[in-house]
Amino acid sequence: MFDTALSANDLVFLAKGAGITIVVTAISVVIGTILGIIFGVIRVQLGAVLSAPLTLFLDIFRSVPLLIQLVLANAFVGMVLQLQLSGFFVACMVLSLYTSAYCAEIVRGGIDAVPTVTRRAARSLGMSWGQDMRYIVMPLATRVALPSWIGLALGVMKDSALVYVVQVTELLKSTQILITRLQEPLFLLLICGAFYFIISFPLARFGGYLEKRWSND
Amino acid sequence: MKKYTLTALLLAAAGFAGTAAQADKLDDIISSGKLRCAVVLDFPPMGMRDENNEPIGFDVDYCNDLAAALGVEAEIVETPFPERIPALMSNRVDVGVASTSDTLERAKTVGFSIPYFAFEMVVTAAEGTDITSFESMKGHTVGAVAGTYEAIALEEYVNEWGDGSEFRPYQTQADVFLALAQGQLDATVSTSTVAQANVKSGNFGGIEVVASAPFDIDYVGLFAKRDEYGFLNYLDLFVNQQIRTGRYDELYEKWVGGDVPSLTVPGAYR
Amino acid sequence: MFDYTFQWKQALARLPKMLDGAVITMEVAIISMLLGILFAILLTMFRQTKSRPLNAIATTWIEIARNTPALFQIYMAHFGVASFGIHFSPFTSLLIGITFNNAGYLAENFRGALKAIPDTQARAGQSLGMSPVQSFRYIVLPQMLRISFLPMTNQMVWAILMTSLGVTVGMNSDLYGVTQDLNALTFRTFELFAIAGVIFYIITKVITLSARLIAARLFRY
Repeated sequence: MFDTALSANDLVFLAKGAGITIVVTAISVVIGTILGIIFGVIRVQLGAVLSAPLTLFLDIFRSVPLLIQLVLANAFVGMVLQLQLSGFFVACMVLSLYTSAYCAEIVRGGIDAVPTVTRRAARSLGMSWGQDMRYIVMPLATRVALPSWIGLALGVMKDSALVYVVQVTELLKSTQILITRLQEPLFLLLICGAFYFIISFPLARFGGYLEKRWSND
Repeated sequence: MKKYTLTALLLAAAGFAGTAAQADKLDDIISSGKLRCAVVLDFPPMGMRDENNEPIGFDVDYCNDLAAALGVEAEIVETPFPERIPALMSNRVDVGVASTSDTLERAKTVGFSIPYFAFEMVVTAAEGTDITSFESMKGHTVGAVAGTYEAIALEEYVNEWGDGSEFRPYQTQADVFLALAQGQLDATVSTSTVAQANVKSGNFGGIEVVASAPFDIDYVGLFAKRDEYGFLNYLDLFVNQQIRTGRYDELYEKWVGGDVPSLTVPGAYR
Repeated sequence: MFDYTFQWKQALARLPKMLDGAVITMEVAIISMLLGILFAILLTMFRQTKSRPLNAIATTWIEIARNTPALFQIYMAHFGVASFGIHFSPFTSLLIGITFNNAGYLAENFRGALKAIPDTQARAGQSLGMSPVQSFRYIVLPQMLRISFLPMTNQMVWAILMTSLGVTVGMNSDLYGVTQDLNALTFRTFELFAIAGVIFYIITKVITLSARLIAARLFRY
C-alpha cells in the first residue's frame, strides 16, 4: 500500500523512541502518584485554609503550559543553579510534579466521596485515624479514584510528547527525525499515532469498564 | 613559636590560593574526558543523519576534530535551532558547533569564536510560482526556521512589504522544506548549502533555488559561555589551525564542494 | 551559588508584545471551545442515533482525540492533511487541532452527563407532541450542558494550554510563539518564559473564577 524507504534500522530507532516515552511516563506516574497521594491527604487533613500554599503551588502545574514548565525548569536548573542534570532527569522531574498536581485532586475527590458518617462510625468503633484511612477510606476512595487515575496516567503518556524540548528523543521526536530524512510525513505520523493509540485505547476502555462496574453496585 | 605561626600562615595562604585558582571550563572538559557539542541535525550538509540515524555532516566532523585536539571524546547533542543557546546556558553542552551567526545581540549572552564558516543566503521557491527574485516574494507566503539569522531578517522584510505577504517560522529546517514541497509556502530564504543539499536530495519535489538573497554574508562562529576566556581563546586558535592545516578546505570539499568561502572580512582586523 | 544575572528589565520591556500574543491565545481558545461544543453536541447526537456510519464517525473521532497526543493532532492538521493537498494556515491548523481535541473530550463528558438524565424525560416530551430533535433540544440539551459545566471549564483551561503547541505548525503570533521569537532575539530564556508563565496562570485563573461566578448565577435554585 505504501511504497516506503523505511528500513528495519528505522523501526528499531522508532522503537527506541517509544521505549523512552514509556520509561519517562512510568517514572513520572509512579513518583507523581506517590507525591499526589501525600499532597491529597495533606490537603484533606489540613483543610482549605491551612493547605492554601500547597494548593497554590500545585495549581501552577495545572495552569501553565507543560512546554513552558519544561523550558523554565531546564533554564532554572542549568542557568540559575548551574547543575549538570540530564534532560531526561529534568523531564521526569517536571512530569512527576505535573502528575502529582492532578493526582492530588483525584485523591482529594476520592477521599471526599467517602461519606463522613461512615468514617465517624469507623472512629466510634475504636479505629485509629490510620486504621480508618487504611481499612475504610482507602478501599472506598480507590473505587472512585482509579478510573480517573488511569485517565491521568494515559494523559501523562500523551503529554510526554513535549519533552523533546529538553533534548529527550521520545517517540514523536524520533518520528520527526525520520521525517527529516525520509520525507514521508503522513506514513510516519500514522505509525506514531497508531503506537499511542494502541497503548492508550485498551487502558482507557478498561478505565471506563471499571467506572461502569463500580458505579453500579 | 613565631616561626610556626608564620609557617601556618604561609600554609593557609597557599591553601587559599589553591582553592582560589579554580579549574575553568577548558580544564573541566579535559579532565572529564568528554566534549559535548550542540549540533543542529536537520541542517544538511552541516548536520544530518545517515541511514543508521547516526549524526554526520560538516559540524559533526568539526566537533570531532575539536574533541581530538583536546584529547577527549566528542558527544553530539542534537539541538533544534531555537534551543541551541538555551542548551548551552542550561549546561546541557560545552560548546555550540551549530552554524550560529555571530550577531551582536547574541554576543550579549554567549561568547563567539572567530568565524569558522560563512553562508550565502538564497531564495528557494516552489515551481509554478512567479518568484524569480528576492523582491518578487512580496505578496507571497514565505517561511524560514524560527530563531535563525535569515528568519529574523526575512520577517522584517515581510512586515515592510505588507500587502498580503505572510511570514511563517517553523521549528526545524525540515519542516520548512516540507511545507515548501507541500505548497504551504511559496518560497523560503535559507543558506545556499542547505538549499542545494535539499534540492539535490530529491526528497522534495518541485522546488528550485531561484535567486540569492540580499543579506550580508552570514559568518558563523563556535560559541561557549561568554566568561570562559580560556576556552574561547582555545576555540579561536583551533579555528585558525583548521584553516592553516588545510583541514577546513578538506571538510568543505567533503561536504559542500566548490569554491571555499573566505572567512576574513576585508578591511577589518578580526 | 547564583552567578546568573537576571535581566528582568530587558524582558519586561517586551511585555506589550507578549500581551498582544495573549489576546491571540484567548482568541484561539475561545473559538476552538465554541466550535468544540457544537461538534461535541453533534457527535453526541450521532452516538444516540441507530445509524451505523454516524456511530462509527463519532466513535472514531472521539477515540482518536482522546488517545493520541494533542501535539500529534495539531501537527497532523498542518503537515498530515497537506499530503492530500489541503492547506491550512498556522492559525487555522492550530484551531482545527484544538477544536478536534475539544470536541472529542467534550463528547465523552456529554455522554456521561446524558446518563444522569432519565430517558423518561425525553419520552415525556415526545408524548407531549415534540419531535425527537425538539425534545433533545429543549429538554435534554440544557440539562446536559449544565451537568457538564465543570468539565467544560476544565476543557477551556486545556484549550488555553494547548495553544502553546502552535509553534510546531509555524504559529508565532500567540503568547508562546511571541515568547519564543523574543527568546531567539535576546536569549533571556528564563525571564521571558517566566513572564509568559505568569500571564498563562492569570488567564486560566480568570477563566476558572469567572466560570464559578457564572455557574453560581445560572444554576442557583
